[in-house]
Amino acid sequence: MADEMAQPLLRDVGQRPPSWKTPITNFAIIFQHRFLVRNLVRREIRGRYRNAMLGYTWTVIEPFLLASVYYFLFVMLAGNPDEMYPVWVLLGVIVWGCFGKSLTGCVSALSKNSQTIHLVFFPRIVFPITTVAGNIVIGMMSCLVVIPIIAFYGLPITYHLMLIPLSIVLAGFLGIGLGMMMAPLNCIYRDVEHLFRFIVRAGFFLSPVMWTYEMALQRGVFGEVVLLNPMVVPLTMARHGLAGQQLGIPLSGILGSVGFSILMWIIGSIVFNRYEAKAVKYL
Amino acid sequence: MIENAVVIDNVTLHFPKQRSALRIIIDAIKRRVARFTALENVSLEIKKGEVIGIIGKNGSGKSTLLRIISGIYPPDGGRCLVAGKISLLAGLGTGFSEHQTGRENALLYGSILGHDERTMGLKLPEIIEFSELGDFIDEPVRTYSSGMKARLGLAVASAIHPDILLIDEVLGVGDPQFKEKSKRRILDLVKSTGTVVIVSHSFGLLTDICDRLVFIHEGKIVDFGHPEDMIRLYYETTGKE
Repeated sequence: MADEMAQPLLRDVGQRPPSWKTPITNFAIIFQHRFLVRNLVRREIRGRYRNAMLGYTWTVIEPFLLASVYYFLFVMLAGNPDEMYPVWVLLGVIVWGCFGKSLTGCVSALSKNSQTIHLVFFPRIVFPITTVAGNIVIGMMSCLVVIPIIAFYGLPITYHLMLIPLSIVLAGFLGIGLGMMMAPLNCIYRDVEHLFRFIVRAGFFLSPVMWTYEMALQRGVFGEVVLLNPMVVPLTMARHGLAGQQLGIPLSGILGSVGFSILMWIIGSIVFNRYEAKAVKYL
Repeated sequence: MIENAVVIDNVTLHFPKQRSALRIIIDAIKRRVARFTALENVSLEIKKGEVIGIIGKNGSGKSTLLRIISGIYPPDGGRCLVAGKISLLAGLGTGFSEHQTGRENALLYGSILGHDERTMGLKLPEIIEFSELGDFIDEPVRTYSSGMKARLGLAVASAIHPDILLIDEVLGVGDPQFKEKSKRRILDLVKSTGTVVIVSHSFGLLTDICDRLVFIHEGKIVDFGHPEDMIRLYYETTGKE
């Protein structure tokens, strides 16, 4: 450090790292800027539950209220579900919420922060990372709701419970790649933001949030088709984690979901790195 | 030989224009490019230890040039080279989070400006003292007056020690007493920093502290040189219009 200070070399400020490297180098950037990321995540979480009497308990209340609405809707439409069904919906809402908010948050990560972007330069990958990290933290807080559920249903405490936080992380990670791909485009046309808000809402019904993977399996071939949706894995993971069961999804399905999220991260990082500089000129 | 701290080499920057879907198709057919050229073939070398002022009318490209040096906009043509750590002071405290305390915001703003945790831990007492906020430092920023916010912003921003300091019109915040104090603080910062580039409309200040002035008009550097000559040139060029 001291040597650099003594004789700083000329460096090209406009230059970005080579795009193909960014899926790896992004991790180094996040580590380097961890203090900034932590402060920005804190701002995001504080901002969301500001001036609320119930404060952070809303992380649990919100999915709980949503789940009860869907529960009644299901009972009206399909009749009597099994006794664990309300819990499956609750977990579904939490995991899907983490994915949906990460995705829409990443899409608008650049456009929402135009003020900061015009003020100071730091690697802009920090913005989508912050959004997803914030949503993962909130998702984890929501997951604390499983503690009273375990007590109420008298569920066994097994190491499978680890699958619940893991599913939140996977859901957030699934959102970031696609979100980063779209963030530069959203600076130019905000239509992208509206489109993705719709996609998240539609995806809610197409993914096993109100229904479960097991229900799909009972419909024969539908159970196979459903696995094409990468969100099936994290949603089912959370439920089986709580029930203390094996995942029950074929290995190809799990690898498909994890592989898809990694592929999206790679493409997203490259696209983001290549276009963010051009895109922020529209802000 | 004195080394260069900033080399701006034939830099051009365009801003794209927001277009409707129909407009894009029409432009594509007519092979027309819809853009606004903010800077055109700008070249400038700033030596280490120099204090440079940039003058020009509103919208002439002064702030854009600072943003190029700080890396916010990569140039479309040419390149910009710098030696060392850069810091841009602009719009003090605009990134404040209203619902967090002054202390939390100081840490947030400091980290946005590129400090690590250890540095901020060391600087925090000095920042709090300079901001004159007293017990208010642990109150949410939404309870602050605009002057208090500006003071906190300046306190954090001026606690930095970069190799190259870029200042974009941040002088003159708060009441007269603080204005005097903030001016002194910035002048101290200018003196202790090696290389400084200032964008300002207060010609008196620029004449006092700058070695050279650069006069930008409509995205081009008209001339650079002795402050008084440049100010005369500014009035000759812009006064006519």
